[in-house]
Order: sequence, then structure tokens, then C-alpha cells
Amino acid sequence: MLTTTTITEFEEVLGTEAVVTDPVALRSYECDGLTGYRVTPALVLLPSTAEEVAACVSVCAREDIPFVARGAGTGLSGGALPVAQGVVISVQRLRRVLSIDPDNRRAVVEPGVTNADISRAAAPYGLYFAPDPSSGQVCTIGGNVAENSGGAHCLKYGFTVHHIHAVDVVLPDGTLTRLGSHAPHQAGYDLLGAFIGSEGTLGIAVRIEVRLLPRPAAWRTLVADFDSLEAAGDTVTDIIAAGIVPAAIEMMDSLSIEAVEAAVAAGYHRDARAALIVELDGPHQEVASQFAEIQRLCRDHGCTHLRVAADADERAVIWKGRKAAFAAVGRISPDYLVQDGVVPRTRLAEALTRIARLADAAGLRVANVFHAGDGNLHPLVLYSEAAGQHDRAEHLSTSIAELCVELGGSLSGEHGIGTDKACSMPRQFDADSLATMRRLRTAFDPHDLCNPGKVLPTPRLCGERPGPYQPHPLETAGVIERM
Amino acid sequence: MAISGTELHTCPATPAELRTVLADTVADHPKVRIAGAGTAAEWAAPPAPADLVVDTRALRGIVRYNPADMTVAVRAGTPLADLRRELAAQGQRIAFDAPRADAGATIGGLIATADAGPAQQAYGTLRDLVIGMTIVLADGTVARSGGHVIKNVAGYDLAKLFQGSLGTLGVMAEVVLRLHPLPRAGATLRLARTAAEAVAVGRRVMAGALEPAALEWCRNHLLVRFEGGQEGVEDRLSAAARLAGAPGDVLRDEEEAAAWRPVHEVTLGRPGDTVLRIGTLPGRGSRLIEAADALAARCAVETDATSSVGVGAHTVRLHTGDPAARARFLTTLRAEAAALDALVTVRRREGLPDGTDVWGPPPPTVPLMRAVKQQFDPADRFGAGRLAPWL
Repeated sequence: MLTTTTITEFEEVLGTEAVVTDPVALRSYECDGLTGYRVTPALVLLPSTAEEVAACVSVCAREDIPFVARGAGTGLSGGALPVAQGVVISVQRLRRVLSIDPDNRRAVVEPGVTNADISRAAAPYGLYFAPDPSSGQVCTIGGNVAENSGGAHCLKYGFTVHHIHAVDVVLPDGTLTRLGSHAPHQAGYDLLGAFIGSEGTLGIAVRIEVRLLPRPAAWRTLVADFDSLEAAGDTVTDIIAAGIVPAAIEMMDSLSIEAVEAAVAAGYHRDARAALIVELDGPHQEVASQFAEIQRLCRDHGCTHLRVAADADERAVIWKGRKAAFAAVGRISPDYLVQDGVVPRTRLAEALTRIARLADAAGLRVANVFHAGDGNLHPLVLYSEAAGQHDRAEHLSTSIAELCVELGGSLSGEHGIGTDKACSMPRQFDADSLATMRRLRTAFDPHDLCNPGKVLPTPRLCGERPGPYQPHPLETAGVIERM
Repeated sequence: MAISGTELHTCPATPAELRTVLADTVADHPKVRIAGAGTAAEWAAPPAPADLVVDTRALRGIVRYNPADMTVAVRAGTPLADLRRELAAQGQRIAFDAPRADAGATIGGLIATADAGPAQQAYGTLRDLVIGMTIVLADGTVARSGGHVIKNVAGYDLAKLFQGSLGTLGVMAEVVLRLHPLPRAGATLRLARTAAEAVAVGRRVMAGALEPAALEWCRNHLLVRFEGGQEGVEDRLSAAARLAGAPGDVLRDEEEAAAWRPVHEVTLGRPGDTVLRIGTLPGRGSRLIEAADALAARCAVETDATSSVGVGAHTVRLHTGDPAARARFLTTLRAEAAALDALVTVRRREGLPDGTDVWGPPPPTVPLMRAVKQQFDPADRFGAGRLAPWL
């Protein structure tokens, strides 16, 4: 239990200025990017080293205090939602790039370093860190490890789990250990792989050895407009069937295009029913021949307009439009919710039709922006809090996620289960599967202190209702988008 | 079921049968050994005697395959070689080339042994290609994680625990894998190079963003394989030769297959051979190989080696020398490896004295491995011996 004695102990470990007790300051940790859920923590700790994190967790373990690790707080599933009687351990002060090893193409960084900072530090060596979640300018690598973050380019490059060699972890009992190693394989269970994507429930990553990639030699980007989502979807199917693995294939529907153009004027055509963004990168000749083939496939499927980025600036504008889509929806709707379900790619058209039907039944609009290459949908449920549509919107949003499961997909492609979807987990996994996942959690955290209430459903959590969605401060400032 | 010696032998053909046999034998046959095609029977630490052998070879076949989704669900006892044929008919493949697959290894066996091949340079190992798994635990509990879509973060990824698990946690019943298109063209550039030179050339090829599919050094040659479109592959072969400062030999088809054969021979070993698996930082690989060469002469054993130079995965085969000499080689090489922060484990234990420590110094994760084992298999039914002395 948290007492004045334990607070004093934290202050002795960290110094008084690194222990936040002021109620106003504590409020700024009450939510992450899923702003509808808010819980003010009892205490926030700001350690500066891995050893300090371990010391804090040891105290929590001994005193039976639940703790929640937090990076930039940009997560979209409430994975960093505090526990009322617990502490938040922020890794914002652990933000050093400890080393770059260009010969072995890797970097060792602290968990509070952002994706963008890793790539910036690697840039002088012609290297970069591939995972590119939309919040990459501000989100932390610790959070990426927790969520197994993806991004638009994961079609070719994979997820965070494919880009991590080793992680130093503070286990829920306060032990500092290492998962993975310099070597490409380690005997025994792949605990590193199991840890990545465990949403902060198995321990806290305090030092991360990431894999760096050489910058691609060439890239080409195009936007193809279509008269229907089906035609755009068929084009994607044919690109994949042709044996091409683009770096990214994204799709936006007309409602999303309208919002983007209202917000950032990225040059998308408002009269298009669907816009496909395809990006290739790799060796020069490979990219050149595949790009020609993709343009041909777009034309074969009746694309009404084809825009090829002439240079890096135009490519940046195209991506700016795509990445601004979520924030831009604010231009056409006072409030919105973001979904993150996945369907087998061949069922995209069916999924979109049924989402439209669900939206009609709910009397709400849904804008669709998604990673078409891997079937990861980001339907945006538009609604008005003021008009009392919140509950209907929440219900529609949950129905869409559960529809994805019904179609053979998943509740979440990259945002995580967190608090948001824990109660939907029984739709995707039966009781035995969930109980078996619980066994893994118990192996790491027998006393259920590490980010409790996330990922797996609990009766307490699943009996409650979230509050209304409110924009995240960083979102209002235009720093992050919800994708 | 059949009884041979004191072991009961069972060949379940469906996940349901697998579940029933495990649930029904908890009391009478507490100790279980899981067997696939037997291609790694001599690998790792030897299994302890068991009461029940679960033979997964009847648990085979494709469960679900929709080529346009580029995923396939298979029973875990399916030989990878069989699956390759079915996928190739649709222009697809599993981007995984462990040489053991050609010997008939099952998907489950390749996962349980954390096997790898040269293509890990571009595609990783099965760990990176498995997107879903159904497992059966000691008490008959059937659990599923992941699913049929490539992008999926819902729930814990239990499949990762089975990577390298050597039959100690449970039985894999079904596995869902991500597929890749069969490349339209592929060819290998062969260059005569020492191990150290190979590391340097490999580094230049990667830094040149040529995206090699494999970079393997074996018997004083570096093999650089490219896959992709016809023009793209040609372009990259020339670029790689330029970066290497030598034309090398461009090999295709039969010639190419022949050039890769030594890699397979070293990796698999022949009966009586000892095979070691070594992991290093890529840049330190050649030092380890050189150390092994020097040590072979001192220990009176003959060795050869193959290295995935871009990854830092190496295989050393001992094909002569008595058990004491081989044990001396292993112990001394481990000591040198420790100074390079490298790991040396025994893959094929033949030719070593009984009781040889196949795993080497325990990693700091052993207590966690034990905790996972305790949770998944509290009665210690599965795989006794294989991860000894850690478990």
C-alpha cells in the first residue's frame, strides 16, 4: 500500500523533485491518447536511470503497489491508464541514445527516446529505424516495445518485434534482466518475442538494442483515384498477386479525402470515391520496374487519376495528407472515435459494406482510412458529444471491432487492447486461450502489480463505461494523429 | 496407440485427438516426449525416458489456405517440404530455408528447435513468420494465440514461447504462417573471400541498400543471393560485384544449387558429426571463425563452417576427432566466445561425451524460463532433458 513512508522512500531513491504528488500535476498523467478513460494516479515517479526504475519497482513489489509504465502517453488503447491507488513510472527522463554501432547496424537507446530521435541519431551513418507509427515524432521506443507498434510501412518492414535485438527489462519483482542478446539467437524460449507487444504488463523496458536498416536506395510514391472502393481494393489484390510487396499501400474513402483537403490541402481529389497511396522502396531497378507495373495495374482497374510524386517534397505532401486524416476529421465532425480492427485483406470490401450498414443503422457517419495492404482498418466514427450521440458512437465502434473478428480478423492491428478492448477479448479468444495467456502473465507478474487491468478482461473493468472522447492535447496541437 | 518397450506411442491425427490423448494419460503416462519427423533427434540435450511419445506426423495437412490473403494454416506435423510444393503451385512460399526442411522436418519441429537458414538475412526465422498458433497443454487445455491476419496485436503472442521450446511446454497442433511471393528471378554471386573479407563485403552490399536475400560465407567463398524481378536482380548482381571489387561468378539454376550444397552439408552434418551453432555480433563473426580454425589444429579435430555474415549466425561442424578432443574444442571455443560476447551451443551432439553441457553458460533469463515452464506445465510432463540443466 502507498503510505507517506513509501513516498519518502521513493524520494530518497529519486530525489524529491522526481516524485510528483501535486494533485494538479498528477492530473496531466490521468490518460493517454485514449482520452475517454481517465484515472488520476496516486503518485508519479520520474526516474532517470534503469537502476532507479528497478529501485522504484522493488519498492512497489515489496509494498504491493500497482504500477503503470508510461512513455509519451500517445497510446490509443488506454494501455498507460493509471491505477487509482497506484503509481505511474514515467520513462520520459530516460531519453539518451547510448550508442550507435553502424558496422553492426544497431543502436542502444533508453526507453524515453522517440522513434524520430533514433532515426536522427542513425542518419549520419545512412541508417534509420524502420517502424513508423504516425506519432513517431513524439512516441517513445519503450511504448513501441510495449505495443509492438507498426505504422504505414510495416507491410514490407514488419513490426517492432522484427527490429529489436535485446531489451533490458525491470521485471515486476524489481529484478533487472536482459531478454535477447547480441547474438541472433538464444537457446530456450523466445521471451524477448513474448515481451514485445505485452502492453507493459510483463515488466518495464529500460534499455533497448534496436536494429537499424540502411536507407533505401530509391522510393516511388503515387496516388491513384478510383470510382469505387471495390476497384481500389481489386487493384490492391492484383498488386499483391503480382508478387510485389510495396513498402506501403494505404486507402482513403471520399469522406476522409474531404476532411484531409479541408484541413491540409494535400492535393487529393474531392470527387474520388477512393484514393490509393502506394509507395515502393528498395534497389533502383527493382523499384523502377515494379512501379511501372503498379501504374499499369491501376489503369487496368480504371483509375480516374494517377498522381506520381515528382520529388521528395511532393511525396512528403502526399504523406502529410494521409497522416493528417485523423486530426482532419475534426473539420467535418465535432467528435470522433478511431477503430483499429483487421480483416483478411480479401474481405476488405465485405467489411466496408457491413461497416456502412452498421453506420446507417446507428444513424452516424464513418470515414475510412486504412492500411489496405494488410487489411488493417481505421474506421473513424463521427459523432457529436453535444447532440448526445456518444453512447451510440461507442457502441458502433465496438461493433465494428467485433465485426472484424467475425470476418476472421483481429480486434487490433497496432493500437493494442489496453483498457479499450479488454472487454471484447472474449470475442476473439475463448476462455481457455485467455486463461493460458494469463499463465504467461502470472509467470512474469504473480502478484498482478504490473499494469493491472489491461489486455485481459476483468469483471471490474468490464462492468464500467468510459467517459466521452476528448482530444488529446498533442492532437489539438497537431503533433500527433490517431492512426 | 501402440506400446513399444515401456513407451506408449500415439499418433493423433487431429487436434481433438491430441487433446484427448493428453487429457486421458495424465495419471497413467505422466512423462511425455513429443516427436516429429525425427530430423533433430540428435540435437540439443538428450531427452529423458518418457512414458508416452506423441508422434505428430499424422497431424498433417493444410487446414486453410486462401492464396490471396498470403497466409496458410497447417497442422504442426506437416513437413515443410510438402507445404512448399502446395504453395509453389500458387506462386507462393514460406520465406524460410533451414536445410533440415529438405530432410523432411515438420513445421512444428522447425519452430521447436528455432532452426534458421541463410534467408534469415532478409526474412528472419519462423519466429518472424508465424502469425498464429494452437497449442495443447499437458492437461488437455487447448489455447490459441494470434490469428489468420498478419497484422495483429490482440493478446499475448504465445507462439513466441514455443520458438526454441524443444517440446517442453506443450504440443503445437496448428500453425498459421505468413507467406511471400515466389520471386520471379534469383541468382547468386560467388566470390572467393576469407571469412574476414566476407564480413567486409557483406557490409558494403548491405550499406549499398541492395537488399540481399542471403549473405553466406562457406569454405572460403562468399555467396550473395538476390531475389526479385529479372532486371532488378541483374542490376544488383553487377552492383554487388562492383562493391566487392571483383566480377565473381554469377550462378543460376543447377550451378547455383550446387554452390549452396556445402552450406547444407555443414549445417546438417553427417552421422557421427558434431555440429555447433554460434551467435555473434555480425562484425565479430570472422574472429570466432578464425579462433575455431586455430583451435581445431590444437585439439586434433577437423572442422568446417558456414556463416550468415550479415546476421552473425554461424555453424561449425566437427567431422573428425575423438569425443574428448571434441569436448576440449567446445570448452575452449566457449571460453574464447565469452570474450566476444558470443554464444556457442551444441546443435548436433553426436561425437561428444555423454553428459556434455550442450547449452553453455545460462543466460539471465533462466529463472523466467522456469517460471513459464511452471505455469504452462506444472506437472513437468513435457520434454524432460531437452533443456537440461536449465529446466
